[in-house]
Amino acid sequence: MRPLGWTALAAVLVLLTLVPWIASPALVQFGTTTLLLATLAQSWNLIGGYTGYASFGNSVFYGIGGYGTAIAMVQFGLPFGIGILLGGMLAVFFALLLGLPVLRLRGHYFAIATLALAEAMTGVVSNLDIAGRNIGLVLPLLKDDVFFYESSLSLLVLATLIIFWISRSRFGYGLVAIREDEDAAGVMGVNTTLYKAVAFTLAGFFSAMAGGIHAYWITFIDPVSAFDITLNVMMIIMAIFGGAGTILGPLIGAALLASLSEVLATEITGMASLFFGLVIVVAVIFMPRGLTDLMRRFRALGWRYFRENLRLHRL
Amino acid sequence: MKPILAIDRVTKRFGGLTAVDEVSFELFEGEILGLIGPNGAGKTTVVSLISGTIAPSAGKVLFQGAPIAHLPAFRRSRLGIGRTFQLMKPFPGLDVLDNVAIGALFGTGGGKSQLRQARDDAAYWLDFVGLGHRSQQRAEELGGPDRKRLELAKALAMNPRLLLLDEVMAGLHHVEIDEVVTIIKRVRSRGITILLIEHVMKAIQSLSDRVLVLHHGSKIAEGSPQSVLDDPRVVDAYLGSRRK
Repeated sequence: MRPLGWTALAAVLVLLTLVPWIASPALVQFGTTTLLLATLAQSWNLIGGYTGYASFGNSVFYGIGGYGTAIAMVQFGLPFGIGILLGGMLAVFFALLLGLPVLRLRGHYFAIATLALAEAMTGVVSNLDIAGRNIGLVLPLLKDDVFFYESSLSLLVLATLIIFWISRSRFGYGLVAIREDEDAAGVMGVNTTLYKAVAFTLAGFFSAMAGGIHAYWITFIDPVSAFDITLNVMMIIMAIFGGAGTILGPLIGAALLASLSEVLATEITGMASLFFGLVIVVAVIFMPRGLTDLMRRFRALGWRYFRENLRLHRL
Repeated sequence: MKPILAIDRVTKRFGGLTAVDEVSFELFEGEILGLIGPNGAGKTTVVSLISGTIAPSAGKVLFQGAPIAHLPAFRRSRLGIGRTFQLMKPFPGLDVLDNVAIGALFGTGGGKSQLRQARDDAAYWLDFVGLGHRSQQRAEELGGPDRKRLELAKALAMNPRLLLLDEVMAGLHHVEIDEVVTIIKRVRSRGITILLIEHVMKAIQSLSDRVLVLHHGSKIAEGSPQSVLDDPRVVDAYLGSRRK
């Protein structure tokens, strides 16, 4: 990236950090939600965008992180910092346990298997006494939106920096090789099983941290909302809309789509999701590789960019 | 002379089909062994059994004296076994340079750890196969002949001791075939042992020290290129036996 790009990025980051002191409480809350969604989109990006494994199981780790935090704080009276770390560890454990068998599947089969994980997890947690069964848990109240906002921002920055570093490392190249052709990657010396498991686990860890922050913020967690699959769909849409397999894509996608959905929900309440869906369909047809690809190639191709994408779909 | 690779009564069955049937052969350091046979003879299966993308149903595979049949593909490539795919497997969305850099990053002995170093290697091997001018293009934009060269460059960047070439000349015209023959001779002069699967007999004859013929999964002949091509069983396998 050019120095100008870095400067702009730093300016945006400073601005984001200052939001709680210059913006209204409602905007800070919207910001927190968006930052958490962006973190989820960014972690999905690692396994879905870079490694090419369309995971529908990331919301499982979001739920596990939330529950880990809730159980630690409610049942054992531990502080939040320890709780969220325990939630993260729990997610790492489950990601390895579930990932090693599930990551043997490819393509649609992997997507379906991870989809089943979310359902199974809802069932298991609904029957655990320590997790409050199907009623859920009420966490201690902390009325400090600035804290939640800044934690979410730090988490997003941390996840993005780590994934940025990965994307330029040997490990990252191995992940991309797996995405592009797994058999060829193996024959060229990439330990595919290990690499996939590590990517899945890291994605799970960041999702879990986001889940932990969210649970403490809204002070309540229950099985249905904790393992809600629509959240997973959201992160996939955001990552792909912005540009999966790029660093800034998922962030831009999350920011734009969260804002759009917020505006639609306040302006045309009833039909908001209809319009939201329409935007997604049009975006997928005209820029299947996301906004980052559009920005990169539009200058050279102009309007031909959209025509070529249309032709690619053979519509 | 000690063999770098020894295949000992290796069998591969896919359900009821025996693709490779108790095949044994040895490959010596620095030689080029041609592997020929009609379509469906099991040639690519042999390459896959050596490179580890499939596991044998029975038999032993020894590389530099050590059994490797139980090892996954990535371990074998780190030991120094490189291969190309007959149905080319480029990383379509990556540029040509990075396609090859992945070979350098992960090849023999674990490869290079630094991306910059790997890219330097990749540029070298792209020039070596005559694809240097395409290094910034995406692999999916390459035509067939260039994809063949890319396969070769990717395998070479892994710095292999043994190179398995699965029909790198298929679909090329005469001039291109001569160019690839020259490239393979230069590869051999670097001391890399080669197993060459090819239908282009001209290339087999000019490159191979020995030739091995597979038919219906079994070895039917082995020897010098000329003696093998004169063998009546080989002629029968390719042309069908004469009615007597």
